[in-house]
Parts: sequence; C-alpha cells; structure tokens
Amino acid sequence: MNIKKMNRGLDFLREKYISPERSEPRKRSLEGCAAKGEITLKDGHCWVGATPLIPGRMERKIVELKKMTENGTLEGVSTLRFASFAPKGSDIEAMLAKELDLAAYLGASDVVRVMAVANGNAVNVLAKLANDVNVSVEIGAALPRGEAPYDRHEIIAKRGVACDQTVDTHTPHASIRCWNGGGAVEYTDVDTELFGLSYEEIWNVRAAFALLQKRADAKVWKAAWAKAVKAAKLAFAADKAKAAKTIALKKGLDTNRAIKVAEVR
Amino acid sequence: MKPVKIAMMGMTHGHTRKYYQTLLDNKKLDWVASCAQDEDAKKTYELYQTGVPCYLDPDEMYKNHPDIEAVVIASANDQHFAQMKWCAEKGIHILSMKIPTFDMKEYDEMIAMCDKAGIVCQIELEMHYNAVVQRLKKLVKDGAIGKIKAIQMTNITLSPVWAFPWQGDPKASFGSVKRLKKGDDRFMGGALCDHPHIFDLIRHLTGSDFDYIYAEVAPNLRDGLKVEDMLMAIGRMKDGTSFLFDPSWSRLEEKIKVPGPGWERFPKRMEVNVTITGEKGMLTCDCFGPNVYHNGAPNDRYTVQYTYFDEWIGLIDEFVDCIRNRKTPLINLKWHKQTIQSMLGCYESINTGKIAKVG
Repeated sequence: MNIKKMNRGLDFLREKYISPERSEPRKRSLEGCAAKGEITLKDGHCWVGATPLIPGRMERKIVELKKMTENGTLEGVSTLRFASFAPKGSDIEAMLAKELDLAAYLGASDVVRVMAVANGNAVNVLAKLANDVNVSVEIGAALPRGEAPYDRHEIIAKRGVACDQTVDTHTPHASIRCWNGGGAVEYTDVDTELFGLSYEEIWNVRAAFALLQKRADAKVWKAAWAKAVKAAKLAFAADKAKAAKTIALKKGLDTNRAIKVAEVR
Repeated sequence: MKPVKIAMMGMTHGHTRKYYQTLLDNKKLDWVASCAQDEDAKKTYELYQTGVPCYLDPDEMYKNHPDIEAVVIASANDQHFAQMKWCAEKGIHILSMKIPTFDMKEYDEMIAMCDKAGIVCQIELEMHYNAVVQRLKKLVKDGAIGKIKAIQMTNITLSPVWAFPWQGDPKASFGSVKRLKKGDDRFMGGALCDHPHIFDLIRHLTGSDFDYIYAEVAPNLRDGLKVEDMLMAIGRMKDGTSFLFDPSWSRLEEKIKVPGPGWERFPKRMEVNVTITGEKGMLTCDCFGPNVYHNGAPNDRYTVQYTYFDEWIGLIDEFVDCIRNRKTPLINLKWHKQTIQSMLGCYESINTGKIAKVG
C-alpha cells in the first residue's frame, strides 16, 4: 500500500465534500465536518490515530450485502459462507480477522464460538454467532506472488441467497480482460474519485474518510476490530487444542450496526 | 470557490432521481430549487424527500430563486428546446439529458442560442465518469491492443416506458411522429433514443468519425408499444473500424410506476458491454460489473444489485468546473451532433433498407 498516495486521496475527499457553509438540504446530507487526521500503517494494518480502519465494511459489495440483510431483501439469515485467498506470504490470521469481522457485521451479531483446522498457509474455520447463525470461512495464502487476492461472501437466508460472486462461477468476474502479446490481464476499477489507487488502498481511504466525518464511530471500530482479532487468535488456539473456543458476549456497544455510506456517493 | 446555485427542471426523465444524492453532497453546488413538469412528476419527486422546494411553473421558481446559475434539464426530449431557450434567455448554464433533440434544425438553433448567451451546455453522457470506462479509454490510448479494427458494444436495458411513459410516445421521445418504415405500424422514438452512449463512446475510443451505418429492427418484445424496442446496427468508422451495436430494450421489466427493487425480470437491468479487437490483441469489458447478486425480495428472482454509482458524481464535477473555469464540456452540443446524426442514420437505414451515410 502506498500511504502517501492514500493520504492524498483522503485530502481530496476532505476538500471536496466538507464545507462549513452549506444550504439546508446539504447540511442534512453530510453530518459533521471531517477532522484532521491521516492514515498510518502499523503491522500491515491501516490506522487513523489510535483507531484501526475496517476497510472491509466500506467495500461497496459489502455495503450492498449489508443493505440486503437490513432492508428486507433477505429474511431469516441462517448461514454465512465466506472465503478469502491471497498470495503466498500473506498473514492468514489477519485475513481471518477481516472475515470474522465481516461475519459479525453482515450477520449482525458477535462471534461467540470458533473452531478451526489449520495446515500451514491454509485454515478452515467454523464459527457461531450469538444469534445462532453459522459461519464458515476458507482461508488460503497459496496464490502465486503478485496475483490479486480474491474472496467470496455468501449469505444464505430463509428468503433469498445473496453473494458477491455470480451464480455458476467460482472465481470473481473482472470488469475488463485484455489479451495481448503479454498474455491476459484483468482490471476491476471501482471508484472514479480514487481512480489509480489499488482496491485495498481505495477502501482504506474510504474508511478513513468515514471515520473523519464521524459517520463511522471510532469507539465502534476499535471494539469491533479488537473482537475480530481476538476471535481469529482463538481460532488458531482451537486448532491446536482440537476443541472449539467460546467467546463471552459483551453487552453494551453494538459494534455491528451499519454506517451511513450512501451519503458519500 | 463559490458554490453554483443549481436547479432541476422537468423531473420526468428516467435519470432524474440519480442526481439527487450528488446535488446534495457536492459542496461546489447549492441545489436551491426544482420545477416539475406536472403534478404527477412533483408527487414522485416528493417521495425522495430531498428537502429542496419544488415548483410547477419555471417562472415562479425563477422569481423565488433569481440567483439560479445552472439547471439540469431532466425532461422529455420534446421539452428540451423550449427549456433550453428559457435558460439561455436568462444566461443560465445547462446540463441537458442525453438527447437534446433529433430535429437538426432545432439542434443548430440550440447551438446558436447557447453560443450567443455564452453559457455552458453539457450533455449528460455519464458513462465517461464510470471507473471501468476510464480504464477502458486508458488501455486503448496506451496501445494495449494496438489500433482498433472492430468493436461490438451493447447498451441494453429494460424499458422505462411504464415509469416514464413519454419514452414510448413517438412525439415526446423522437420529437415528431414518423413511421419506422413502410408497412410497419411502429414509430421512431423507442430503445434507440434511450441509448446514445455506444454511438458516442466509439468516437472517443477510435478518434474517428462515422462513415456509414446499417440497422434492422426486430419484432417488438412488448405488445402494444408504439415504438421500437429491439434493433441492431452495424457500420464502419472513417478509419475503417467495423462496429456492431445493440441498443435494445432487450431485458423485460415489471410495469411499475416508480423505479425500485423488483423492476427487472431479467437479472441485470442494464448492461454496457464492449468487445474490441485490435491489431495487437483484444479486450472485453463489462462497464457495470462485477456486482452483488441475490434472489430475495420482492420477487425472489435472481437479481443483480449494482455497486457502480460514480457516473453522476464525475458528471456534475465536470459541469461545475466548466461553469466556474469557463471550460468546454467533453460532451458539448457541437461534439454531440454527430452522435445524434449517427442515431438518425439508424432510423434512416431502417426506413430505406440501405446503408446511411453519417454527417
């Protein structure tokens, strides 16, 4: 990730969308003004100040899936089937933390039990949410170096199945596939305002912007990410112990509520 | 920079609702008023609760908001000339929907009155601000596939006629009532009029102008429709590029009055796909994909839920930049004229059964 470029993107959004003088309708549209702050990288994760970013929650596909769980498109969620695959050398515990956070977010309930079977750079996980939803997560870090990572998020409900991969495929569709003397290259661009940044960079910038606008609550993200990291760690402990690990449910702050994203768009 | 005081007019175009979010969010704009064509359009507008006042009489709107600097004309095609004239007389900048008019005499008058008033008149071809199209143009420009030899493009959608009835009315859509061809009981003004993007995009990708075009209409999918809903066109650009276009309403829809979830019967309600063969390679492109997919409410049918929304943001950014910095929009009336002529060429070819020279 190119942090300098990402902070330039963040400055661009801050400059474009935040104005102290606005007429009434727009005052309602964007709440608050963006505080100062910049993205930093610590141990491979992006932060703004002391708050970890949760870029996965900002990805448009996740935003749309979250909407479907809340607006009645899906009814009675039963099971989440997630997968994430990345190039060799990727941190599979961090990958799992991201997926378990998304499971809690899309399932609208915290992870309370986790069991895993790991083998080198791969791990299979079964988790349970407090609302009884089942979660399976496949993680692998065996793609050749330089390949783009890919993932899958499928929500199975009493009414409807939703997924970020289309039916009858097992790898993601790309927007453009170009063949020439150099072979085949795929491109998927998702953000015009941040065109030129990588997929990972874009969602970290969007996450930082949401946080600075206070659409995302720093307290919520700190707590949510701490839960996800803990659940991922316990998954590996469960593998070693060959026994599922339980996680006590914390009462109080709801860390899985949707943030206002449409306002940016 | 001082925000541009902007208004919307008409509110009967299918794209009207797509402006609301960006007009509210963009700090370079101050959306002060809207003016609906009629009570029905006003009622639909009010469903979205923008908080921006809506009038029924443009003069009343202007009396209450004399500081309006720009207007998005979001109306039926046959209303554009009068509304542009209204704006030009007041020195108000214009963002026009994608078909200013099919009447080339009127078109030239539009150019003259905007030039005389010294106003910006940008045409809404929002695909240019789609991130995938940006990549597509960059790849072609950078020579990833060499000189273009052939292009196939689809701009296929469901039909908006049930929600926006003017799009099925030959006079309101095409501007005049003209039979498609001898012995055909349909009129010009259907799917073709809804899909100019591909006729424009090929000019940017090739850097060339249209030479000739040949088109055929197919039997309609929708009973009772007075205008065409299925057609194809092929032709050649002046640089030799061969093209095949599908600008049909080939995706069926539910006959709902206000667009919303469950509108589509085919899973994907809108597709702009491009395949290009070049001297050094080829590419395929889906300008609105990947997305997310479901078979939930309201109809429990497999459905594409879009994740691409950037078009309106970039479009409005360019409009404001042109107003404040005295720039000419990428899609201005003069540039767009040949795009409209190429679409008229399709109708001419359908009518005569021969190729139509363009321009």
